Amino acid sequence: MNNLITELFKLDFVPHDDKTVKEMLNVIGVKSLQELFQDVPSDLIIEKLNLSSGLSEPDLIRQLEKISHKNKVYSSSFLGAGCYFHYIPSLVDFVTSRSEFYTAYTPYQAEASQGYLQAIYEYQTMISRLTQMDVANASMYDGSTALAEAAIMSTIITRKSSVILLRGIHPEYVEVIRTYCWGQNINIKSANEENLKDMLSDDVAAVLFQSPNFFGDIEDVSNIIKNVRDNCPNCLIIQVMTDPTCLGVLKPPGATDVDIFVAEGQSFGITPSFGGPGLGIFTAKQKYLRKMPGRLIGKTKEINGEKEGFILTLQAREQHIRREKASSNICTNQALCSLAALTYLLALGRTGLKEVAKQNIQKTHYVKQKLSEIPGYKILNKKPTYNEFLVKCPDIEFLIEQCRQQELLPPLKLTNYYPEMKSIALVCVTEMNSKQSINNFLEAARSASKDNVEGQ
Amino acid sequence: MDYECPNNLKYASTHEWIKIEDSVATVGITDYAQYQLGDIVFVELPEIGMVFDRGSNAAEIESVKAVGDLIMPLSGEIIGINENLADNPENVNSSPFENGWMIKIKFSHPSEIDELLSAEKYKEIIQNEKH
Amino acid sequence: MCSNIQLIFEKETENELKNFVPQMDIDEVDINEILPNTLQRKDLPIPNIPEVEIVRHFINLSNRNYGVDSGIYPLGSCTMKYNPKVNENIVRMPEFTYIHPLQEENDGCLELLYHISKLLGEITGMDGFTLQPAAGAHGELVGLLIMKKYFESKGLKKLKIIVPDSAHGTNPASAKMAGFSIIEIQSNKYGEIPLDQLEFAMQEGDVAGIMLTNPNTLGVFDRQIKEITKIVHENSGLCYYDGANINPMLGICRPRDMGFDIIHLNLHKTFSTPHGGGGPGSGPIGVVNELIPFLPEPCLISTQQGIVCNENNDKSIGRIKAFWGNFGVIVRAYAYILALGAEGLKRVGQVAVLNANYLRVLLQKNFNLPFNRICQHEFVLSDRGMPNEVTTEDIAKRILDHGIYAPTIYFPLIISGALMIEPTETESKKSLDYFVEVMNKIYEEAKNDPEILKNAPHNTSVKRLDAVLAARNPILHD
Repeated sequence: MNNLITELFKLDFVPHDDKTVKEMLNVIGVKSLQELFQDVPSDLIIEKLNLSSGLSEPDLIRQLEKISHKNKVYSSSFLGAGCYFHYIPSLVDFVTSRSEFYTAYTPYQAEASQGYLQAIYEYQTMISRLTQMDVANASMYDGSTALAEAAIMSTIITRKSSVILLRGIHPEYVEVIRTYCWGQNINIKSANEENLKDMLSDDVAAVLFQSPNFFGDIEDVSNIIKNVRDNCPNCLIIQVMTDPTCLGVLKPPGATDVDIFVAEGQSFGITPSFGGPGLGIFTAKQKYLRKMPGRLIGKTKEINGEKEGFILTLQAREQHIRREKASSNICTNQALCSLAALTYLLALGRTGLKEVAKQNIQKTHYVKQKLSEIPGYKILNKKPTYNEFLVKCPDIEFLIEQCRQQELLPPLKLTNYYPEMKSIALVCVTEMNSKQSINNFLEAARSASKDNVEGQ
Repeated sequence: MDYECPNNLKYASTHEWIKIEDSVATVGITDYAQYQLGDIVFVELPEIGMVFDRGSNAAEIESVKAVGDLIMPLSGEIIGINENLADNPENVNSSPFENGWMIKIKFSHPSEIDELLSAEKYKEIIQNEKH
Repeated sequence: MCSNIQLIFEKETENELKNFVPQMDIDEVDINEILPNTLQRKDLPIPNIPEVEIVRHFINLSNRNYGVDSGIYPLGSCTMKYNPKVNENIVRMPEFTYIHPLQEENDGCLELLYHISKLLGEITGMDGFTLQPAAGAHGELVGLLIMKKYFESKGLKKLKIIVPDSAHGTNPASAKMAGFSIIEIQSNKYGEIPLDQLEFAMQEGDVAGIMLTNPNTLGVFDRQIKEITKIVHENSGLCYYDGANINPMLGICRPRDMGFDIIHLNLHKTFSTPHGGGGPGSGPIGVVNELIPFLPEPCLISTQQGIVCNENNDKSIGRIKAFWGNFGVIVRAYAYILALGAEGLKRVGQVAVLNANYLRVLLQKNFNLPFNRICQHEFVLSDRGMPNEVTTEDIAKRILDHGIYAPTIYFPLIISGALMIEPTETESKKSLDYFVEVMNKIYEEAKNDPEILKNAPHNTSVKRLDAVLAARNPILHD
């Protein structure tokens, strides 16, 4: 096949034919496309990119399928650790596939973007109601960067330069906070419940904690708050959550005096997709509104009319106005993911969300009970849990192998993050784990149990 | 464009006006400054008791499309702030020299007053500014 | 449809349905045995809404919105090009969507991430990439942290970054987040960086480098780009390339050859992934060899065993986001690059510039064009000289009345009343001609009927909204 023919078998979204190109060059007053690049030094002009020729749509799909088949989709998952398998209603994809939404830009021209602006306003409302926090922004990139930006925000508000991280925050989130704080010379201190009081000092801007935490524990939030308020009254309290479906049952942060609450919103209608895109939920008390990063949609009226409408507001906080005085550089965020989350929460409603949360709690409790009946397994959590827990295993490698054989995505080996925590698994159970898959998991656990292993 | 520049006030090249009464200076932003910023939506004032050097940022004035800094024209302690601006930021636009006042300073270096500008000099500056 | 706004919350029902939850299939215990009452919430104030109402609501909202599928979207520096539908199919394959970031059977994902970094390397000339940053601004922060770590590793204290006055706001904001302070340089009358000013600024000795986009936000290619990067390098600085404006350079010219050490790309601009109304995006960072060790974790390398993570690198700036980056966005960009191939990408660059110059030449008849020279992918008009003091905002609002979207307004700041226009390569000549027709109509109205412009828009679902009220009395939720 000669080159000319292969040329045609590619995707091309440029509508012009040669005749049109010539006409337009004429109007511009140049003879060739090359002339349009006359400002580029000739020694910088490249001849051709060293890439293969393009692909037509069916060939493209074939190629991507080939790669995708190297991934494995499991029938059921016992892995959480910051990314969760929940049921996503068909409605969600239906709404986010409307191209009037997904091919739109940030709604700067409010009058032509009322649809999206209203949707994000409704998202802000939904998150406010769910969390009982005073204000929610339109989104941050994900839970980890939302937490990092919350830490920075606290140092700006309090004019203090260190933050305390309570044990139990997702280890990848901790790393992200370290990187962001290093950028701004913010000091990081680690603490646990026992020594928190001693760590609180005058230079602390905020105490950060996760609940339910990385190990599955639902923390005694009121206790943490009391500790901080009593010993460091000017300090902010920041909570993060990696699976906010728990808010279907758990006491919301707004009812506990938390100053800033952030979460990873992937559980609200967003597919795991190898960890991204996610959704950074960001909320705070009213008094911190003007120091919040991120977009905010507000309700307003027509200048010369009675109609109400929605508009990007308080933009004077943001980078395009404040530039180097902005507290955050965020511009493009995760708008379409906010739309997905809104649709998810609307579809489920309070009844559905309560049921999801309840099932997560009940099924996790069930697995904990059954596992602890198998010789060699010990549940390590002393506090109540939501949908994750730690279990010490007699032979974790064997357990994981058995899980795979049963087409179950195995739980996390904690040594991936904490090399000293050997033989411990972080197990996640959601409403998507059927009784059958739970039985298969328990079967796998049994075959990797003390009795069986020793008997081999 | 004719901007108001009351003669009984002193000015800074960074568009603040200053009214000196004994050891206290009342400070706000000029008519020119409020026009440049547009409709003011929020003013972030310092706390009473804070001490600033001349030249540092004491307050931030936000409009829909811009942010301006109130630069301390004199060193000293903040002894008064216009709390009305919290509910009525538009006063900065409608009455920049009266109801739109921002802070009162107990100044510590009286000699700094000599470096402030007269209304005449300030008028010259804004005439020459590009906008 | 009588009342002007109906929020979805008003469509509540008393019905209690669990239609999106699997049937509970294990024995439950009393929840108070598992969870103390003090940890449980008292009420859950979110509504139950029937499915039909949800669908109608969002269909109606979508009818009050405008995307690039609706018509031309000439936002400068945003590259609102067509988003290929095949990408939407590909990204929804279960083998991409139902993959957990921490699962071990992930060879397909790792291979894709590795392969796209090679493709982007070929397109830009850079040696190593990270796909971690979630957006352009995120990438900027990463790039600047790399600069910071690089100089720290050499025991040098360089805490300033040079930024031109035409730079996008994220540039100085990112620099500040990375702990730098800004030196701003005024562009000259050609919209380029004056070399003598650059020399002078670099001589301070504590300048880490420069952040530039080229072509710049005026759509102008800085002819002295090689001299600029040379001056920075000679003074031991690094050069950062803001890739927001790289669309016209695809297949034509590469940032590495211009002399840049670090670049970011916006996959949601140049590489056709959908803007989503404000994200999700993806802002990969590319660096030269010397800076590869500083890339954020995790970093992928190719080994005999396949693509694996490069661990235990103490030069890395650390992690900047959980997991792997916006994978769902990256898959779309990957498909786009493969689909277009070498020739297709070059055609993008050529036609992006053709379309922009076509508009420039036709619009300059009636509108003020401060930089009257060949532009690259975009150009900037100004409202100077508009009859009857009609402003850029008036023009933009009136454009909406014609059913198309307005260009970027009031940016870059160095042009008063800026109207920044970037058509992209996927607009047909007909579409461009329509845009010119609309703009010329608006010019006539400015002369003969300015009031209609000052009160625009008239045909949209709401008229001009009160931004001042929204900022003075923020109502951010119901």
